[in-house]
Amino acid sequence: MEGGNPLKLYLNCIRNTLEAAMCLQNFPCQEVERHNKPEVELKTSPELLLNPVLICRNEAEKCLIETSINSLRISLKVKQADELENILAKKFLRFLSMRAEAFQVLRRQPVQGYDISFLITNYHCEDMQKNKLIDFIVQFMEDIDKEISELKLSMSTRGRLVATEFLKQFI
Amino acid sequence: MAATAAHQFAQCTTCHAWSPDHSMIAFCPNSNEVHIYRLLQEKWEKMHVLQKHDQIVSGIDWSISSNRIVTVSHDRNSYVWNQEGADWVPTLVILRINRAALCVQWSPRGNKFAVGSGAKTVCICYYEQENNWWVSKLIRKKHDSSVTSVAWHPNNILLATTSTDAKCRIFSTFIKGVDKRSSGAGSSSDAKFGEQIVQLDLSFGWAFGVKWSPSGKTLAYTGHNSVIHFVDDIGPSPSAQTVAFRDLPLRDVLFVSERMVIGVGYDCNPMVFAADERGIWSFIRFLTERKTASAGVKYGSQLSGAFGKLYGQSKYSTGNDTVQVSIPDGNVHENCINCIMPLNKAKDSTTMRFSTSGMDGKVVIWDLDNQLDLHEYI
Repeated sequence: MEGGNPLKLYLNCIRNTLEAAMCLQNFPCQEVERHNKPEVELKTSPELLLNPVLICRNEAEKCLIETSINSLRISLKVKQADELENILAKKFLRFLSMRAEAFQVLRRQPVQGYDISFLITNYHCEDMQKNKLIDFIVQFMEDIDKEISELKLSMSTRGRLVATEFLKQFI
Repeated sequence: MAATAAHQFAQCTTCHAWSPDHSMIAFCPNSNEVHIYRLLQEKWEKMHVLQKHDQIVSGIDWSISSNRIVTVSHDRNSYVWNQEGADWVPTLVILRINRAALCVQWSPRGNKFAVGSGAKTVCICYYEQENNWWVSKLIRKKHDSSVTSVAWHPNNILLATTSTDAKCRIFSTFIKGVDKRSSGAGSSSDAKFGEQIVQLDLSFGWAFGVKWSPSGKTLAYTGHNSVIHFVDDIGPSPSAQTVAFRDLPLRDVLFVSERMVIGVGYDCNPMVFAADERGIWSFIRFLTERKTASAGVKYGSQLSGAFGKLYGQSKYSTGNDTVQVSIPDGNVHENCINCIMPLNKAKDSTTMRFSTSGMDGKVVIWDLDNQLDLHEYI
């Protein structure tokens, strides 16, 4: 498969980073009494945040991993080579974001500048196995590219069919 | 195998503690309850459920000298439980903190306990006979972030703390009327309550899991940047050693002897550290040795034909078909280990047996007796 290997390297890099970053624990809020919220979202105590990691394959494809003591945020920008891909990606990811509860780790709103974001908290790590969580993210990234190229392909197939049908009347 | 027994008590545990005779275990199943189990004819039987807290219980300690249990919780409260007949009777301890309590430990003599909190303070609690009341004295304004772990020096006076501001500090907790001046060892016992003896700023990440060696000469604590620090000569000029390792960070440590430390953490496999004759600490090995093949298989399966197989899979599933991508290492624990407790008799200075519990809800008992290569360090 063309381009399979370079994508593998990118995904491997993300996988290894996630493995190191996903060391989360239950941590109650230091600022607000009786609260326990993902620190990566609140950002109230700078000492509880780690340096964010940005992994870029190229300008259009990048992955931002932000880590805190009890939560981890992964934001993806997926490849959009042309306008059609742009529209497809936007619609498809919106469709997923609207069903965020079903995915548990999906964030309803992506972080500014990215197409889709995941939020993993210590509660997810307690319920699920860490390697399965990482596999999910990596497979999601693998599938999203494939899904969009498939959509694009069926889109142009359909376009061609419609055009052929339409032009038949002039024969 | 070094692990002699493993029992799945819950879906996830936050901490555990053993009764003085090691016949009973108290643990928190990641909820507001504390469960006490007893081993009866090779089977664990639930004896008691301690319900008083209304948020997750973050720390449990069972006093060796007085058979009392102290629990602390994210609800900012602490209870001391006394066994009266068949029941455990709670006594509320007003900690005077306004954030979650994170960790607790009885002092070696059992007359005080220390609580680390998210309010950036440490509470030292002691019993006042005349009022029939546990009193809390605070060490304030010394920590810049939450206190993640506390450890008592064997002299009952010094207390070591670690915090998410990446520092480890040692305080004097001398309380008039509770401690005697003569009881301490050396000059450090002359300090007033709450006086900071030393501040160690060795780590670049959050600090966790501080422990003293059995004699109190050495101190060990871990940093979230995958390091473990060993500090000797606590006082005006401490000497420190830092051991960095290539694996995921540790959460808690345990001194097995003066020269050997077990560290547990996100790698789900206890790590052994030891000092040689010259006192240089180094990483020895994992307690359960990984199969050397597993790393190779992991990379192999990632690079080889797995890509093609994905076509047949249902999308976005975390089902069984992804197992082949990341192969579990075959560890006894399947998730982060966050608590390690010794299982030795009070008079022994070396610990041959200990227990670990973690986010996978298992409690595992380990025995070093059959680990012959480690005996030279014990």
